[in-house]
Amino acid sequence: MSADKHINILDFTIQSLLRRKFKNAGIILVFSFVIFIAGSILFLSYSFKREAVLILKDAPELIVQRTLAGRHELIPEKYAEIIARFPGVSDVSPRYWGYYYDSLVKANYTVISADRSLQTSNRLFRGQMPGEGDFGNAAIGRGIARARFIDIGDDVSLIAADGKVMDFRIAGIFESESELLTSDLIVMSRQDLSRLFGFPGGVATDLSVSVSNETEAPVIARKIRDRFPDTRPILRSEILRTYDAVFGWRSGLILTLFAGAMIAFIILAWDKATGLSAEEKKEIGILKAIGWETSDILEIKFWEGLVISLTSFLTGIILAYLHVYFLGASLFAPALKGWSVIYPEFRLAPFINMYQIATLMSLTVIPYIASTIIPSWKASITDPDEVVRG
Amino acid sequence: MKETGIIKTEALTKYYNRGKANEVLALRDVTMDIRRGDFTVLKGPSGSGKTTLLSLIGCMTRPTSGTLFVEGRDISHLPERFLTDIRRKTFGFIFQQFHLIHGMNVLQNVMMPLYPTDIRISDLRSRAEAILEGLGMSKRRDFPVQGLSGGEQQRTAIARALINDPDIILADEPTAHLDTALSDEFMAIMRDFRQKGKTVIIASHDPLVYEKEYIDLLVEMRDGQIRNLCCNSPDR
Amino acid sequence: MRRSSFFFLYVFFCLLVIGAIVFWSEREGSRFIAKSPDLQEITAVLRLTDISFSHDARYTRHPSQADLFSAFQDYPGSIDHFPSGSVTAPPDFSLLSTRITVRKR
Repeated sequence: MSADKHINILDFTIQSLLRRKFKNAGIILVFSFVIFIAGSILFLSYSFKREAVLILKDAPELIVQRTLAGRHELIPEKYAEIIARFPGVSDVSPRYWGYYYDSLVKANYTVISADRSLQTSNRLFRGQMPGEGDFGNAAIGRGIARARFIDIGDDVSLIAADGKVMDFRIAGIFESESELLTSDLIVMSRQDLSRLFGFPGGVATDLSVSVSNETEAPVIARKIRDRFPDTRPILRSEILRTYDAVFGWRSGLILTLFAGAMIAFIILAWDKATGLSAEEKKEIGILKAIGWETSDILEIKFWEGLVISLTSFLTGIILAYLHVYFLGASLFAPALKGWSVIYPEFRLAPFINMYQIATLMSLTVIPYIASTIIPSWKASITDPDEVVRG
Repeated sequence: MKETGIIKTEALTKYYNRGKANEVLALRDVTMDIRRGDFTVLKGPSGSGKTTLLSLIGCMTRPTSGTLFVEGRDISHLPERFLTDIRRKTFGFIFQQFHLIHGMNVLQNVMMPLYPTDIRISDLRSRAEAILEGLGMSKRRDFPVQGLSGGEQQRTAIARALINDPDIILADEPTAHLDTALSDEFMAIMRDFRQKGKTVIIASHDPLVYEKEYIDLLVEMRDGQIRNLCCNSPDR
Repeated sequence: MRRSSFFFLYVFFCLLVIGAIVFWSEREGSRFIAKSPDLQEITAVLRLTDISFSHDARYTRHPSQADLFSAFQDYPGSIDHFPSGSVTAPPDFSLLSTRITVRKR
């Protein structure tokens, strides 16, 4: 059994496709574009989710916020002592953080206090982390450094809640590879933070709770709510779910924006599927009359569908990859990240979900091939003498 | 070298759209015998059933009743796959409208019948080039067929019919779109084939075709039936 | 050259590129995983809960934390959406020379 026959038919098919160069090139273009969009969205959202899960792996297992009249409110530090005595809780530490609006560059920073320092071996941080009682020092993220043109050793002035100017010396800086986590951070001592924001004594922004057994976290969360009905515990698993929803929503938005292109393509494919032109029917008749079998005709159609859909799929998916991982998804970034002054400049780690790609392929290539073969079925099983009788 | 019955029909009958309102009886009880090497002309007005008979002989459609033998084999009940095989190996067709595939050049049109076979494309090409050469069409080899003159299209169609080196050549109203000179040229080519021992069957109502003295068998048809069989060959 | 060869060549070329992509992805992905302990340490030490992804407004900085107008206020993970302001920046009014004068009565 030689493959010559099939290659001959493929030759013929390509020759036949070349006759309608512009029409078929148009189909390939639109098809590639649709794959490109869908592929970009898949790559992007999957990479983001994988990265978020990896980065937030060691996030606090439980965050306890206090609410007042349905709004977030500072939490009394004494809650921490009570929660720390719950069985299964290994540690409770108050978190002090807040937002600072910098009117100079029109950007929001996240100001946070640290009570521990990073290991010196951490490659993503340079300099000194301002700890407890370390006045006048701050560590900043790359986004802020870029926006304010500052680096280690420079000074930065912030306006405190009482209107006085506070000067900070940049003692440490987060490396750009950590931007997805640290881009807008300013880390300072708890005392400086309290002065900057004018925190009343004895309260924290929220509490971070560590549990000895993570599967028990929901139970502890319920106990906390029973003991302090004005609190709102947030589980780490819920945080990760939030990110799922955020990226789900953002990719959904992009999908909606490009729904027009998708629909146009579906109409195009549908048009091809339902309407076999009189000319095509005649050609099928001629081929049958000169000795082509029904299966040969269907093979032409198979190759036709395969050549167009495979070419488009491969082109689209490669372009989508280049777009997302080498060009930073420049087409979608505005919809995905939102607008911002401190844009995190990060390069996504190319995590690829082969299953998603295979699904995309089977949802585009196979239906397209089917939609080229099926309509010609009827034309190819009729007797060729209809052509002869004209 | 004449022997019996390369084509043999027995009470061949063909209805179109059987059982529907537009039912047509195209062919009724046709019994005839064409011998190898015969130059046969089916003569008759349009609607007389000659094209239908030609389609049946060429295995393009199946008879409603009756039997048809091609090279001694009953093909009236063969499945489509076998009919296609016989069609590809035994017959060469020349259609009234030429039925070339537009947008492709002369060479590709000639090569077309043998694409779905295991022939090597280079062999196929050289074979097609040789046939075109024989028909004086070499210079038009890479020309798209829709730009050809009527005579050139005809010769392309002939070349296509010859690519599989068929035993039987069937032509349906081949001179309908040709002037006298080109018609005579066509008939000369057909006569040449007969000289080479091929069987030629032409359906036509053109006197330029059926009045040729070298015709072996003239079948006059009317209303789907044979009116008159007229043999010219001495040994018949 | 045969026309089918062009097709096969193109498919082959694409597969080569995809092969390179897969190889590169493996390498970069494992590089990311290799540096992720450092990232995880930052998360743990600073007790961070969110990635610094969109800071167009405060309420989009920590989507998992309740705040005024926070997107996931009541049910983390619910399919709520951000205010539409998250896609486009607010218009720049600084060029309009609007003067507000307050007259004393």
